[in-house]
Amino acid sequence: MIKEFIRKRSIHVCLVCTGGCNGCDIEVAALLSQRYDLEQYGIYYHNNPRESDALLVTGTVAKQWQEKLVEFYNKVPEPKAVVAIGACALSGGIFQQESDKVGAPVSDVIPVDAEVPGCPPRPAEIAIAVLKYVPPTLASYRRKI
Amino acid sequence: MSYVPIGPIHPGLKEPLRIKLKTEGERVVDAEVDLGYFYRGAEQLARGKPWQKVAYLAERVCGICSDAHPHTLIEGLERIVDCEPPLRAQFSRVIMGELNRIHSHLIANAIWFLAVEHETLGIYNLNTREKVMDLLEMISGNRVLYSWNIVGGVRMDFKESHLKKILDNLAEVESEVYRYRKMFKTGALLGLRSKDIGKMTKEEAIEVRAVGPTARGSGIKFDWRTKHPTYVDHFDFKPIWRDECDNYARVMMRFDEILESIKIVKKAVDELPDGPIRKECEIPRGSVDYRYEAPRGELAYIFETAKHGIIKEITIRTPTIMNLEACVRYMFKDSPTIADAIAIYQTIDPCIACTERVVIVDENGNRQDFRGVHTVLRNLKPFKSKKKDR
Repeated sequence: MIKEFIRKRSIHVCLVCTGGCNGCDIEVAALLSQRYDLEQYGIYYHNNPRESDALLVTGTVAKQWQEKLVEFYNKVPEPKAVVAIGACALSGGIFQQESDKVGAPVSDVIPVDAEVPGCPPRPAEIAIAVLKYVPPTLASYRRKI
Repeated sequence: MSYVPIGPIHPGLKEPLRIKLKTEGERVVDAEVDLGYFYRGAEQLARGKPWQKVAYLAERVCGICSDAHPHTLIEGLERIVDCEPPLRAQFSRVIMGELNRIHSHLIANAIWFLAVEHETLGIYNLNTREKVMDLLEMISGNRVLYSWNIVGGVRMDFKESHLKKILDNLAEVESEVYRYRKMFKTGALLGLRSKDIGKMTKEEAIEVRAVGPTARGSGIKFDWRTKHPTYVDHFDFKPIWRDECDNYARVMMRFDEILESIKIVKKAVDELPDGPIRKECEIPRGSVDYRYEAPRGELAYIFETAKHGIIKEITIRTPTIMNLEACVRYMFKDSPTIADAIAIYQTIDPCIACTERVVIVDENGNRQDFRGVHTVLRNLKPFKSKKKDR
């Protein structure tokens, strides 16, 4: 009970870039600055899948990632949430012109809970998506049991 | 002897890449880098498309130097037709390019400071960067991808209020960067983590063809901006270089380059000429090899066009591929700890998104999906400048 309550207020996120243009990744990095101050909202950014609650996935799923992303997803402990960021993660974006190169969208590979469109989305939009959709997803897992 | 794998996803790395370190105790003796987590095939997508589409694609090769890529492509296209954009457009390009460089260097230093766990300076640098991002957003309408350059000029014009805001914000950025520079210079712990670590001598830098701030931190006095016509004719640009050859030199280089870029932008804003921002150009058949100083170093676009500016062949060579080699071969050598190895890797300002376009080589050495560079190197046109002796 108390764990569920606390988890909603301290979300550990892990950023996985699966081959975009880096634009979304630097927007996530910009969230660390004092202007947005991610940690004030209880989101802690570290790239360790085994400790994280939410995966932030950016980029077209490149060939190397198509199997690895599933393995990677399985490493994250339950309950978990996935936020797909940027046009590439949602549809493949500009790179979805020769279909064998990229495996986008991300939702074909792993289940996605929230999607943030934009090329790239603004940092505030990413923070809002994480704050709005990750806690309900984590809570709904508890209810299933 | 043991092996320490780092990545592809690791708290110390921001982009997927696998580094395999061979260590004796904590000391790194050898290293290996495994690329391939970012391959999207940008060059193959570019073939057979008109330049208007390729400009957008070039922008998305890398999101951090997203002005440098289309800038190089479009100035290359202008070399084919020998079309010189109006002076106001040239100055606008300089302003945008230098603002892009400032934000790229600030995030590079921020990530280095976070890699050595000096969070204060890391977060300070990121916060200062937001002021530059505000300027870029105000001018072009987007924070990361600007779509600023177009053949024959630029897409939008500055307003008076824009120019005033640029000068105001850059004055703040300048004073803050001087402060961070002083903090970095006098910080005792930062000195321990940076001085005499990740050494690469000038000879070694020449041997692996290091480029950009990585090379200039090792005493190579070269910058492609000294060969750029606009910089030669209107800006008194001198490359900055240092001879310490270590992490300290490379981080300090970036601070110095930010200050130099601020000077250039201020001069460009003060002397911004009036006039049109765009000129009509038709792209004929031709080929070109054009290089420009991206924030990370020399960026080469080697391409061939068919009629009406359709790109027939294109090869992009980005700076990180050489710097990564320099890092693996010389800088990791005798790195005292594994934590320092990650800090060394961050000082070259790696951009894996840039790097991963290139070749697939199978076991027998056969190249797939890659048509040679050398077929394109025909009838090159030299750069033109009003000054002689270039």
